[in-house]
Amino acid sequence: MLSRVVLSAAATAASSLKNAAFIGPGVIQATRIFHTGQPSLAPVPPLPEYGGKVRFGLIPEEFFQLLYPKTGVTGPYVLGTGLILYFLSKEIYVITSETVSGAALAVLVIYAVKKYGAFIGQFADKLSEEKIARLEEFKQSCIKYAEDGIDFEKEKQAVVQKRHYLFDVQRNNIAMAFEVAYRERLHTVYREVKNRLDYHISVQNMMRRKEQEHMINWLEKKVVQSISAQQEKETIAKCIEDLKLLAKKAQAQPVM
Amino acid sequence: VNEELSTFFYVPVGTMMLAIAFPAILLPTPNRLITNRWITIQQWLIQLIMKQLLSIHNTKGLSWSLMLITLTLFIGLTNLLGLLPYSFAPTTQLTVNLSMAIPLWTGTVVPGFRYKTKISLAHLLPQGTPMFLIPMIIIIETISLLIRPVTLAVRLTANITAGHSLIHLTGTATLTLSSIHSMTITVTFVTVILLTILELAVALIQAYVFALLISLYLHENA
Repeated sequence: MLSRVVLSAAATAASSLKNAAFIGPGVIQATRIFHTGQPSLAPVPPLPEYGGKVRFGLIPEEFFQLLYPKTGVTGPYVLGTGLILYFLSKEIYVITSETVSGAALAVLVIYAVKKYGAFIGQFADKLSEEKIARLEEFKQSCIKYAEDGIDFEKEKQAVVQKRHYLFDVQRNNIAMAFEVAYRERLHTVYREVKNRLDYHISVQNMMRRKEQEHMINWLEKKVVQSISAQQEKETIAKCIEDLKLLAKKAQAQPVM
Repeated sequence: VNEELSTFFYVPVGTMMLAIAFPAILLPTPNRLITNRWITIQQWLIQLIMKQLLSIHNTKGLSWSLMLITLTLFIGLTNLLGLLPYSFAPTTQLTVNLSMAIPLWTGTVVPGFRYKTKISLAHLLPQGTPMFLIPMIIIIETISLLIRPVTLAVRLTANITAGHSLIHLTGTATLTLSSIHSMTITVTFVTVILLTILELAVALIQAYVFALLISLYLHENA
């Protein structure tokens, strides 16, 4: 509010200037101070582990410490007893039905606290611990998920580093395939050429054979033609005489 | 006892405001996730009760959940605090209970009649009634419907007031007997203890019943 007064005073002062722009409510809004400090409540201060110490469940220990220098250990007890007796005897505190109901309630409450107090405290602690465990488990699972992702990524990066092996193998395979195709084609060419050459050779051989046979047949025919009849008779007579001589030799020999 | 009976008709505004506002101190709002034992137990209790109370509602009905939680907590706490000696329970006043019951009941019935008139009217007649009974049944059901806020308020008032009265009467009996025949006070004292236990239970149960009935009326009328 004071800032608004200051700003309106500044506005009236500034409006007297020559080049003063109209200072409207927008300026006041813009210069109002909002949220300048750190708005975060975290981290909250930790809770104390144990509550304040009390005697009789009602009166804090500090009261006894307060009275100790003056009245010693029994001081507060004497004070309490005296006060109670004073109130009762002077009927400042009147015993009515409320007293009885208060006494009954006190009996019940003290019994319940003594018997079940620790149990309820442990139960509450267990609830808190379960909550913390759930949150912790979630946090751990998130961390684990992130770490697994990191490991997976690293693994993949390592694999990528080794990609060149795969490329080399593929390159080798392709080179071998090329080589095989080249040799196959070479072999085909060789075979075809050999085929053609064999054909020519066989043709030559056949021609020579044919010429030889033809020549032999011609020679034989001519020789047979050249043998006249007389020569034939003389040749046969000679053969008969040779045979007779051989027969005589043959007769003579088996006797031996 | 005189105090209690006369306060049925006379409204002590100052102490009533204090008594109505005080339970809020006992229900702190946590500013951290893992709280102290008091708040942890409260959260656990509220979860336990509300699961029962809100399980029958659909999404639209769950917009009433804050109202029902507040109702249960208020009635329960004020009843319990009223059991302390020299304290005041606002739920013993019919005005308080009526002012809770009538708006809540109206809020469950009137939207039902407005948006789903046929279904709301159909609730007035149970299935399978013989023809000649129908007019009677409709009149009776209408009366029972209109009397619900009154029953809610009067039930709560009567239970709590009766419990308080019993405890105070038995207490007075104990005091009177202590001067006549001291030994019987053990019997009456035990009676007072038992009645207090009953009252504790009744206090909590009444709160629950109130909220439960309202949630049922809500569910009936969608």
